[in-house]
Amino acid sequence: MSLEIVGLGWVTPLGSGICEVWQRLLAGEEATAEPISDTTGQKPYPVFRIPHMALQDLPGHARLRRASAISRFAAAAGVSALHDAGLTNEEQLAKQIALVFAIANGGVIYTKRFYHDIVASGADAASPLLFPETVFNAAASHLAAILGITGVSYTLVGDGAVGLSAIRMAEDLLSKDELDYCLVVGAEEADWLLCDAYRKWRLLRSAPPIEPFHKPAKGTILSEGAGAVLLGRKGFVKIGTIHPGTYYSTRRELTEVLKGVLEELGPGGDPSAVISSANGTFIDSAEVSSISKVLPGATIYTPKPAFGEGVGAGGVWQVIVGAQALRSNKLPPLLHAPASLPFRIPTSSAIFSDVVILSCGLNQQVAALRMSALPAQTN
Amino acid sequence: MTFAASNIKNRRVAVVAAGVVSPLGFGLSQTADSLRRARDCVTPVTRFSVARCRCKTAGQVPDERLVENQPKMKHSHRLHRASHMVIRALQEALDQDRRFKPDFAVIGTTSGGMSFGEDYYRAVYRHATVRNVPAWIANYPPQKPIVDALKLFGIRSGCQVIANACASGTNAIGHAFECVQSGRYDRVLTGGYDALSELVFVGFDSLQASTPEKCRPFDRQRTGMVLGEGAGILALEELNSALARGARILAEIRGYGISTDNHHLTQPNPSGVGARAAMEQALQSARLEPLAVDYINAHGTATPFNDAAEAKAISDLFGSRVPVSSTKSMMGHSLGAAGAIEAIFCILALQKQFLPPNINFGMCDQDVDLNIVANQSYSAPVRTIVSNSFGFGGTNASIVIQQMPG
Repeated sequence: MSLEIVGLGWVTPLGSGICEVWQRLLAGEEATAEPISDTTGQKPYPVFRIPHMALQDLPGHARLRRASAISRFAAAAGVSALHDAGLTNEEQLAKQIALVFAIANGGVIYTKRFYHDIVASGADAASPLLFPETVFNAAASHLAAILGITGVSYTLVGDGAVGLSAIRMAEDLLSKDELDYCLVVGAEEADWLLCDAYRKWRLLRSAPPIEPFHKPAKGTILSEGAGAVLLGRKGFVKIGTIHPGTYYSTRRELTEVLKGVLEELGPGGDPSAVISSANGTFIDSAEVSSISKVLPGATIYTPKPAFGEGVGAGGVWQVIVGAQALRSNKLPPLLHAPASLPFRIPTSSAIFSDVVILSCGLNQQVAALRMSALPAQTN
Repeated sequence: MTFAASNIKNRRVAVVAAGVVSPLGFGLSQTADSLRRARDCVTPVTRFSVARCRCKTAGQVPDERLVENQPKMKHSHRLHRASHMVIRALQEALDQDRRFKPDFAVIGTTSGGMSFGEDYYRAVYRHATVRNVPAWIANYPPQKPIVDALKLFGIRSGCQVIANACASGTNAIGHAFECVQSGRYDRVLTGGYDALSELVFVGFDSLQASTPEKCRPFDRQRTGMVLGEGAGILALEELNSALARGARILAEIRGYGISTDNHHLTQPNPSGVGARAAMEQALQSARLEPLAVDYINAHGTATPFNDAAEAKAISDLFGSRVPVSSTKSMMGHSLGAAGAIEAIFCILALQKQFLPPNINFGMCDQDVDLNIVANQSYSAPVRTIVSNSFGFGGTNASIVIQQMPG
């Protein structure tokens, strides 16, 4: 079975629109962090947020009236991916398409508000309007309703590797003949509480930029948004091997686990690029060590200094970056990396026939896939 | 490990081992006994204050028994109760079939270790510096309990964690079934887990979906659900592979159906169209007619909306012949674990040839004619069972489980 990318859509801190954001990445731009505060009056944290303009094309729908930010991001990215593929007929789509949603923290804004009312005022003050939006599959349900999907819809939970796990699930689903497409959407919304948790977990940096591959690691900055990849059997980028994923028990064993995952992906084209999930934390050095051993000639790029750590959205953003690299034979410049690095960094003259996406989550999960340009796109 | 899609289609899928932890007991034997005896395991909530909730009861798993006989694990005291439940269920399954080595895992949950998130938020709210905060944060994510369990038993397979609200467990079994059936994998661990949490408890209470009274699925006087908790694990394997190595076959998964009902985020379409579509698809996938079904383990939450829609779907598709029960009447609704635990109840019913009861039942809605297994279990020839799970977001899932001949 051939699994190919048919359409792309994203809502990122650098804006929306595949071409627009891609051009900004190629120009070396990065999102601007803004401080996010909490009603409890504790310290603010910097976050890469979604600019209002990025949601201007979001279709009006009754389901989105009270929906959380994550549902809006997902809806905008999902609809955009279908438009990118030229699919508009809702009735026809309903029978042909499956939805796989990837999420890490979910509707944290409403979840916090709901639980805050319980803590501050008691259980009898909790709002029945908020509770349904706290459920992990709320955003997928809204998107299914908007697109008229009445069949297969799954929400997967995980850490930063969940986006690739969702692509793997799409491959499972498309191995059945009944479905023509699978829309994979990864989404996340930012909240002060998440930043505070990541800080207490010693993974957050107090101010931008995200500096990947530095030793010692200086920490990451959270972001929000969504990415959508429409998969089918005839598209413009081929998804090759998708690793089923695994986990690491301790940070010390991470390099070996990543090395095993890359080896199990099998040999690819040469030279290849790796879209890494390096985000300024402990995973950066493990990714570099493993990539250097298994794919020594690979060019490494991470989009996280530009977008921030989008967790549930992050893996799907990486896949979109990889697809764009194959489509355009370009990779954006690697931002804020040290001057001397033990691997190749993107240059304007590189040609990529084969890209590996490596997603290493902060909570023990690891996933990877390999994708390649289809003959028509290869120079 | 199977990487590429295979052309092998419609392979048969056996359940070769299972483990369960629920308010009905620890393990298959205790659970079967509780089902037989129609035990009401719903008790006053002890984990958090419910003084300001309408509902005061839930099905709860006793903490003191959770870590009994558990393999030694570094930092196990930091793990969430949900992790301990999954570990216990997985341990039982692996003890039954020590040669079962999964290629993959597909598990369902709705909130995992949510109560650690609650503890963390309470600390933030109080501006308190609490030593446990990093452990709470690291162990709160919903996928963490299954990662903990896989790690403890040295299983390195990939894992998909489905969070399709209350249908998660059945969705997980159904997707795992399809993965084995299509040849993507030969052996898959599946199931579901959820532990009681204050946020979720109050959430259902705020919607007035939970009841201050007894949980009475399908009863005309029903006033809502009660929550439960637990974990259920099933080991699925391609039938010929299982037979070739002499594995004990507990049952066969024959079919799976999934549908999405876009009527409302929290309410099913009153026509029962979503539930019916899932059951029809499951039967189609099993290549069985409704007449072949001997028992339906219903979703049966006891909310007015769910039971009305499900009863309509069942009677439209099956008529009033097939015995139906909701075992949630005995242990509450364990959300992401429910589909997995109830699938295990179905396997026990197939093995021991009895029908699990729907307790607290008086009489059906006026316009509904269902054959409810009322208040007591009874012995009956059972070969084919449909198990339903429906959830928020309009997600509906049904599986068909069958006894293996001989």
